[in-house]
Order: sequence, then structure tokens, then C-alpha cells
Amino acid sequence: MATATAIGARPGGQRAEGFSLGPFLLVPASLLVVAFLAAPLLVLFRYSFNRYSPREFMVDAFTLENYARFFTDAYFIGVLATTVQVAAVCTLVSLLFAYPLAYLMARTESRWKSALVIAVVFPLMVGNVVRAAGWMAVLGNEGIVNHLMLSIGLISRPVRLMYTPFAVYVGIIAVVLPYMILTLQSVIEGIGREVEEAAANLGAGPMTTFRRVLLPLSLPGVIAGGTLVFILCMNAYATPVLLGGPQFKMMAPALYDQFTRTTNWPFGAALAFILMTSTLLLTIVGTTVLSRRMHHRKLEAAPR
Amino acid sequence: MSELILDRLRKEYGSFVAVDDVSLRVEEGELVALLGPSGCGKTTTLRMIAGFIEPTAGRITIGGRDVTWEPPYRRDTGMVFQSYALFPHMTVAQNVAFGLEMRKVPRAEAETRVRQALDLVRLGHLAERLPRQLSGGQQQRVALARALVVNPGVFLLDEPLSNLDAKLRLEVRVEIRELQKRLGLTTVFVTHDQEEALTLADRLVVMDHGVVQQVGTPEELYESPANLFVAGFIGRSNVLRGRLAERGRFISKGGLALAVPADGMAPGEAALALRPERIVVAPGASDGGVVGRVALVTYLGAATEYRVTLDGGETITASVPTPRPGDPLKQVAAGDAVTLTWPAESCRLLAPGPGATPDEGGL
Repeated sequence: MATATAIGARPGGQRAEGFSLGPFLLVPASLLVVAFLAAPLLVLFRYSFNRYSPREFMVDAFTLENYARFFTDAYFIGVLATTVQVAAVCTLVSLLFAYPLAYLMARTESRWKSALVIAVVFPLMVGNVVRAAGWMAVLGNEGIVNHLMLSIGLISRPVRLMYTPFAVYVGIIAVVLPYMILTLQSVIEGIGREVEEAAANLGAGPMTTFRRVLLPLSLPGVIAGGTLVFILCMNAYATPVLLGGPQFKMMAPALYDQFTRTTNWPFGAALAFILMTSTLLLTIVGTTVLSRRMHHRKLEAAPR
Repeated sequence: MSELILDRLRKEYGSFVAVDDVSLRVEEGELVALLGPSGCGKTTTLRMIAGFIEPTAGRITIGGRDVTWEPPYRRDTGMVFQSYALFPHMTVAQNVAFGLEMRKVPRAEAETRVRQALDLVRLGHLAERLPRQLSGGQQQRVALARALVVNPGVFLLDEPLSNLDAKLRLEVRVEIRELQKRLGLTTVFVTHDQEEALTLADRLVVMDHGVVQQVGTPEELYESPANLFVAGFIGRSNVLRGRLAERGRFISKGGLALAVPADGMAPGEAALALRPERIVVAPGASDGGVVGRVALVTYLGAATEYRVTLDGGETITASVPTPRPGDPLKQVAAGDAVTLTWPAESCRLLAPGPGATPDEGGL
């Protein structure tokens, strides 16, 4: 009803004027953001135009050579491609895994509901490193999976699971799944159950109801969860390092190497900004495509 | 359109019986209202008919077809939800067309039928709006059109008027009844509002605690309630508890001896129900009636109610047409003595079960 009123609001409608505390409440948070996020980023951005010298490490300069190096080096292009691929696949898979569970959690009236929510949230309390160590115990040559397959005679020698892309995918999906589930759950909970019942009542089977009613209405949740998870995946550090091994390189570990091992700060800074920019661009492209689809439906539905 | 039969329909949640062996036959084109207080099982019954809740036992037949175990989308019922449940991302026309699309009705025919259905509820000009751009009453009519356009075997309404304001409620009520009559729809209507049920329905099913208390036409329920619950729920009743001394003579707990119809119950413990509007009030104490003192006079416009405390301590409320100026009754105020009379045949003897009204005696 509130929306209906807003649409029908008088053009000359008056807004209550007077002193508002609102803007002042933003001051502490704004200061924090400037001091701890914007300032370091600006410094880093400046670094990315400096020159690296093996003896002096960093020489003040204004050059684009760090960025040029990235785009001409097949190795680093490959690292970015791997990162984007891992992020895209993990986002998609976690979406597919999370949706049914999120739906179940949103709709259940069971008294186990809160237990289910806690079970989903619980992994977030364990750090990524600890969880990666857990996966090592599961996927290693002496790990549970190999042990099981050996003992039932499925394989005769341990299969290499650790330090493979597979291990990284599994590890990252496990990390991001809770975020996806919780985001989707809250959006699905906001969609009235009666809307689904109405579709069923009008003759729509479960698949049709999902496609025509539930999915379009939960698209904002898909976009929000997808964005959140994609950003997390793009910036994954601990999981690819611990589960992927030295051969498997993603952007976050690669730029960390530049800062610590090679001590090439200018190039590391450039990598950081390339990662940030590509994450931002891909996120914007992805959300626009999805919102277009959503908007398109609305345009079809708009008065002709 | 088809006949709907519920055969000993039952729903248990653990040890709680929500619907207790409800049997009902709704004729083709008949409008039946399920009426009762909240938690009486009426909505559960309706949702079992629609297929949203699986019964624990019993059978549901629509047009001769057993649909007890069919999923909702194979039942051919058209439901109007209390919240309307319109699809917020579809226009009015798309909402109404949804059911036709599911039935694979050819596009041209579907468009014609959507237009007809919207004209039927006088919303043809709003076909391209989104639901959130409509008022509550308009959304309600879209929900009606969406359910009706598919020509459902059974038309189901779940408290469809409860979200409308009082004036609109009256309008839509008349509209629903006209549509239902014109289209000859077999209809089940759930409501907790007895006035709504009395004015709309061909027959009423009064439920309480999952059990059907009485089925009948509005008049049957009003004139001959089967028990104290129905007597208190349909209209209002004064209830006097006591015993039937012999056929035709009732003695209340307060010691009042009253003549009652001689048919029916055997002597023993009983309750007596009496409609307030069947009682005549005369000023002053006199023989040939029940004497008491006025405790409260309530002016209601067309009618005035007198709450009268009898000598035995019991309370009876009488509702009479508001006296004209000059009528001696006009002068009667709280504390004055009055004489109450009523025809013996307006008393109804009932089994002394629990009643529906908490402030029994004084209504």
C-alpha cells in the first residue's frame, strides 16, 4: 500500500523540514572509511606508477610500465584468467547449491529451523586457513577420501586430490556457500508463500512456479548473493595458496608474492588495482545484465 | 461447475485435531460459507479442498472425481486468497492470463477471455497496470478475475473481504454474490464474520474446534440453533441455565419458572436460549411477565437495548425498537422496574453445553 501512496503522491507534496541529526551520524563511519580504506588505497595507487629497481626497490616515478608489463606478460594474463574462471564457476555452483537449501530454510516451519541456520553460519566462525587445513586432511594422499576409496578397492594407489584446481574449487565453494545461502534465504522469506500457492492453484506445476514466479521474484537476491560471492572468490587468498599449491596461481596470492617475495611494490600495487578494477567491471557487467532482464520484464509489463 | 463432496475429512497435527471428520456436500452452483471463530478449522478445511494441506483421513470429490491425493495444480479449483496473492511482477492482464496459459489456451482466445474477465470485475481499463499501482479493492477484483477466468470446478474464497474497509466490504460482498449467481459457481467461502455469512451464503456450516456444529440455511441456523454455540455465534442469544422440570416447564437456576415449547427434550438439566429482539419490555412491575430492574439502557439508533437484572440475579438483554417520544418506555432509565414478556415458542431448549458467548446471560 505504501508504494501505491507514493505513486499517487501530490506533486507539490511537502516534506517535513527542520534539523536532522542524520548527516552527523555519518561522520564517525566516514572518517573511519577515509582513514583506513581510502587513504591506503590512494597511496597504493600512487605506488603503482613508481619504478622498481632491484637495488633501491622503489624509485619515485610516473610511469605506466607496471601496467604495460601485466598486459604483455602471458603468465600474468593467465593468472587473471584463472582467477576470473574460478570466481565465475564458484559463484555459479554455489548459486545452484545454495538456492534449494535457502528455499527450504525460508519455507520450513520445523523447529529445527534455527539449528539449520546455525549450521549454515557456523563455518563462518572458523577461519579460512583452519578450514583449508581441514580440507588437506580430507583430500590429501593419506586423507579420508583416498583412504576410503583404497579400502573399498575402488583405486589401487592414492589419487592426487590436493594441490589441484579441483581442491581449490571445493575449498572456495565451501567458504562462500554460507554467504549465498543467507542472502537468498532472506530474499525468499520476503516472497509470500501464498504467491506460490496461487500459481499452483492456477495449474502451474513446481517447475513452472519456480520459473515464472519464484525465480523472477527472487532475482534481487540472486544478484546480491552473486555479487557478494563473486567478489569474495576474486579476492580469495588462503584457499588457493593452501589447497592449490605453488603451481596454481590466482591474483591475490600473485600480488602478495610481489610485495613479500620479490619486493616489487610498484608491480604489486599495479596487480592490486588490476584485480580491483576487473572485479568491479565484471560485477557491474553481471548485475546490469541480470537487472536488465528484470527490468525488461517490467517494461513488457508497463503501460503501452 | 461441479458438485463438491467432503467425506469425513480429517486433519491432525500430532495430537491436535484441527479438522474432525467434516462431511459436507456442496451442490452445483451453491454458495456455502464456512463460519466459525479463528482456529475452528475452517481455513484448514478450505486449504485441504485446494490441496495445500494433505488430509490425515477422508475423501474430497470434485465433480465426481476423487482429488484427495491430487496436487493443487491438478484440482481445478479457483482460489481467492485473503492477501490476494497477486503476482507482483506481472501486470493485471498477465496475472489474469496466467491460469489460461497453464491450460494452454490459444493466445487469441486467452486474450478475449482475459478481457471479458476484467470487464466482469470492471477493471478493463487497468489491464496494463502492476498490482502495486492498484487500490486494495481493485487488487481484490483482480484476484477474483484471475480465479474466475479459468472456469474452475469449485470457487474458493478465503476471508476475501477482511482486508477491505467497511464500506468497500459491503460493495464487494454484493459483487461476489452477483458474480457467483450469474456464473452458477459452486463456491466455498470462509469467514469469521457471521453477518457476511448470513447475507452471502445459501447455506452455512458453523464450525468450532474442528467440528461441524450445524449446517443449514441462514434462517434455519438463526431460528433453530442446534446447540448453545450456534445460538451464541449466529446472532445473539440470552442463555438461562437450569432444568426442564417437566415438558413445557423450565426452571432457571435463579428460580424463574418459564413456559417453553413442549416438544423435544426430555426433562432434566437444560439451557434456554432466547433472542433479545423477541422480548417485549413494558415499564413498571406487573403480573404476567418476568419482572426485573434495568441495569443499563443502550441507545443504538433504530433499536434500544435494555439490560435487565432479574430478581433471581440472572440478567436478560432485550432489544426493542427505540420508543417514540411520548411512549412511557422512553422515560425508563437504569434502576427502574420493568416487565419482560415473550412468546413461549421463541424460547429454544438446548443441551447444557458450553456456549459461544463468554458473558452468558447478559449476552
